[in-house]
Amino acid sequence: MLHRAACFAMGTRFELVLEGRDDVHGRAAAEEALERIVECDGRLSRFRSDSLVSRINREAGSAWVALDAETFELLERCARACGATEGAFDLCLGTAMDRLRAGQGLLAPAGAFALDPARRAVRFTAPGTALDLGAVAKGFALDRAAELLRAAGVERALLHGGTSSVLALGAPPDRPEGWPVGLGPEFAERVVSLRDRALSISAVRGSRGPGGDAAARGQVHVLDPREGRRLRAQGRAAVLAASAEEAEIASTALLVLVDRGARPAEALDAGFPSARLECIVVADRPVAGRGSGLSGGAALEIVHHVPPASR
Amino acid sequence: MTTNDRRDFLLSTGAGMAATWLAPHLELLHPLLGRKTSGGEGRVKLALIGAGRQGRAILGELATIPDCEVVAVCDNDESRLSSALRRATGAKGYAGAADLLAKEVSVSAVIIATPTHLHRAIVEQCLEAKKHVYCETPLAHTLEDLQAISAAARGAGVVAAAAFQGRANPVYGLARSFFKAGTLRELAHLSAQNHKKTSWRTAGSTPERDRELNWHLDPKVSLGLTGELGAHQFDVFHWFLGRHPVSVRARGDLRLHKDGREVPDTVQAQFTFDDGLVLDWSCTLANSLGGRHEEIAGAMGAIKLAWTHGWMFKEADAPTQGWEVYANRQQFHDEPGITLIADATKLAAQGKLQEGVGLPYTSLYYSLADFVAAVAGSHGAGSNGAGSKAPACSLADGARSSAVSVLASRALVERTEVAIDPKLLEGL
Repeated sequence: MLHRAACFAMGTRFELVLEGRDDVHGRAAAEEALERIVECDGRLSRFRSDSLVSRINREAGSAWVALDAETFELLERCARACGATEGAFDLCLGTAMDRLRAGQGLLAPAGAFALDPARRAVRFTAPGTALDLGAVAKGFALDRAAELLRAAGVERALLHGGTSSVLALGAPPDRPEGWPVGLGPEFAERVVSLRDRALSISAVRGSRGPGGDAAARGQVHVLDPREGRRLRAQGRAAVLAASAEEAEIASTALLVLVDRGARPAEALDAGFPSARLECIVVADRPVAGRGSGLSGGAALEIVHHVPPASR
Repeated sequence: MTTNDRRDFLLSTGAGMAATWLAPHLELLHPLLGRKTSGGEGRVKLALIGAGRQGRAILGELATIPDCEVVAVCDNDESRLSSALRRATGAKGYAGAADLLAKEVSVSAVIIATPTHLHRAIVEQCLEAKKHVYCETPLAHTLEDLQAISAAARGAGVVAAAAFQGRANPVYGLARSFFKAGTLRELAHLSAQNHKKTSWRTAGSTPERDRELNWHLDPKVSLGLTGELGAHQFDVFHWFLGRHPVSVRARGDLRLHKDGREVPDTVQAQFTFDDGLVLDWSCTLANSLGGRHEEIAGAMGAIKLAWTHGWMFKEADAPTQGWEVYANRQQFHDEPGITLIADATKLAAQGKLQEGVGLPYTSLYYSLADFVAAVAGSHGAGSNGAGSKAPACSLADGARSSAVSVLASRALVERTEVAIDPKLLEGL
C-alpha cells in the first residue's frame, strides 16, 4: 500500500510516496523522512537565526567554526564542485543573493572559505563572505531522507522537493523500469524513468524569485557566482545523477556554464567523475564542447535555440 | 533554587544568574564565552550512550561546541551505532554501557540518551564510575527509579545534570527575569500545549525492531505524552515559579491513531498549586495548530514562550518599564506581542535589533554547552567548588519535574485526582 505525506521546508513543499510493510510502518517511515528534511532545513537555512549556516555566516569571518562531520563533508564536496566548474557552482553567494532580493545592484562576489579537516572547521578567507546553500540543500536533504527510508526497510519510494529535485528508491510495483517523471513542456513533455536515481531541474527564470519570493515569479534568479551578475542566457537544465545532491549541483552549474559559453560536459566530467550524469539542456544559444551520446563521462543532450517565449 | 538543590550540586554559584539575565549581554548568548573553560587541561572527553534520533542530534551539536570531543558512542543496535560513528569521527563504538565505562578511562562525562526506562541503571553505573552525567528527560518512568537516581547523584562529587533545556535557553532565561521581577503581578492562569500531527512512531527495518524502537508507546515502560512531551513543559513552570503543583487531574483518549496502541494520542491535564493557581496542559498527536508553547498570564500582562521565541503581552494599564522602547512587536490576531530579545538595549543602540529575534544557537546547543562548561569548570575548581558553576538543571531538579510527570500519568491511567506530596519531591 502506497503512503503519501508532505511537509513545508526550505521555502517549498516536500512530498513523498512510499510503500511500507503496512500502513502503520509506511506512515512512520514517511514522517521520519520528512522530519529528517526539516532537520536539514534547520541546519542549512541561512534564514533561521539558530541554524548552523547562520552561525557560520556570523562567526566564520573572525574564527574557525567547528562543524559536525555530515555538514563538513557537504562543504568539502561543494568546494570540490566549485573548483571543477570554475566557480559555476559556488556556495559563497549569500551577500549577492541578499542584494538581489533587496533589488540592489550586484557586485562581483569575492567570497571564499577554507576548510580544515583536522579540526573539522570552516573559516571565511575573504571579507563579505556569506554562504547560501540554496542550490544544494534540497538535494542533500532528499539524500538523507532516502538513507533513513532504506534503513527503515523501505524499498520503493519517490520523493521531491518543490518538484525541481526528485529522488527515487526502487521502482513502482507495476513499472520495473522506474518511477515515471515528466519534465514538463520546456522539455517537450519528455518523461524519464527514475530507479535508484535522482533528477534536478534548474531554470534561469524561477517559478519563484530570489529567496523563494513568490511575487517575483519569472525573474532571473540564477547568478554567475564568479562575475556576480544575473544569467543572460535563457534556458533550463535537467540532470539525472546517482544522488539528488549531485544532480542539484550539476543542474545549477550547467546553466552558468552554458551562459558563459564554456564547455559544460568537460567541466561536469571533472566535477563529478563517478556520478553517471545524464544532462539535458534547453538553451537559446549554441553550447560548446562535447554533445550528446559520447561515452566515458557526462552524457549531455543539447536542445538549441528554444524561444524564450515558450517557457 | 531550593536548599535541597544546593545540597546536590557539586558546585553551586547560581546566585548571579538573575542579575545576569536582567542585564543580558550579547556574549552571554554564547554559553561558553566569558566562562572559564578547560584551557590547558585539554578538552572535555565525552561519551554518548544511546544513539537514536535524539542521540544523533546531540552528536551534531557537540561537534560544534568548543572544548569538548566525543571519544566513545554506545548503542546496542548496530545500524544506529554505525550511523552515529559517522557523525562522531574518531570515536570508538560500544554495544554496552558497562564495556564502555570499563575501557574508556579517559572519558570524564557521559551523555545518556537511551529510552527513559533504561536511564536509572546507566546513571547509577556512570556515577559509580565518577563520570559527570547529563541525562535526557524525563529521567525515569517510576518514582522508585527517580529516587534511586537522586540518591546516586547526592554526594557523588560530579556534575549531574538533567536535560530540561528550558533552563539553559536564553529566551526563557530573559522571560524568567521579567517574571521574577514581578512584571506580570498577580498570577491568573498558566497554560501550555504541545500539538503536532504525527503518529509518534519510529519505523524499524523489521516488525521486531519496530517494537523495540517504539518503546514510548508501551505503557509498561513509558509515561506516554505526559512524560515524554509534557515533562519538558512542566519543568518550565516549576523553574519560573520555584514550586510544584500539589495535585493533578488528567484525561486522555485515542482520537486519531487507532493502530493498536495503548497510550492515548490526546491528553489534557490540570495541575493545581497550593494557592489555587491552575496550569492547564493540552497535548495531541492529531492536530498541529499552535504547536508547542507555554503561557503565563498575570494581572499586568502575559508571557508566551515558544522554544526559540518569546513574547510579552502587556495589559493597557500596565506600567511602562522603559525597555519596551527598544522592543520589536509581532501581531497575534489583534494582540501586539513584544518580542523578548536578550540584549535588546545593546542591539537597539547598534541598530541591530532585528538580528536579535530568535536564538542564535539551538536550544539543545545551549543545554549541552551549559553542561560542558560546568564540567570544564569543575576540572579547574578548588576543593570547595570555588570558580565553578552548577549545571542549569541538576538531576535533583530534573527528578522533581519528572516525578510530577509520573503522577500526572498515574492520574491519567486511574482517572482520578492525584495528590503531589511536597515531601516526596523534597526527598528527591
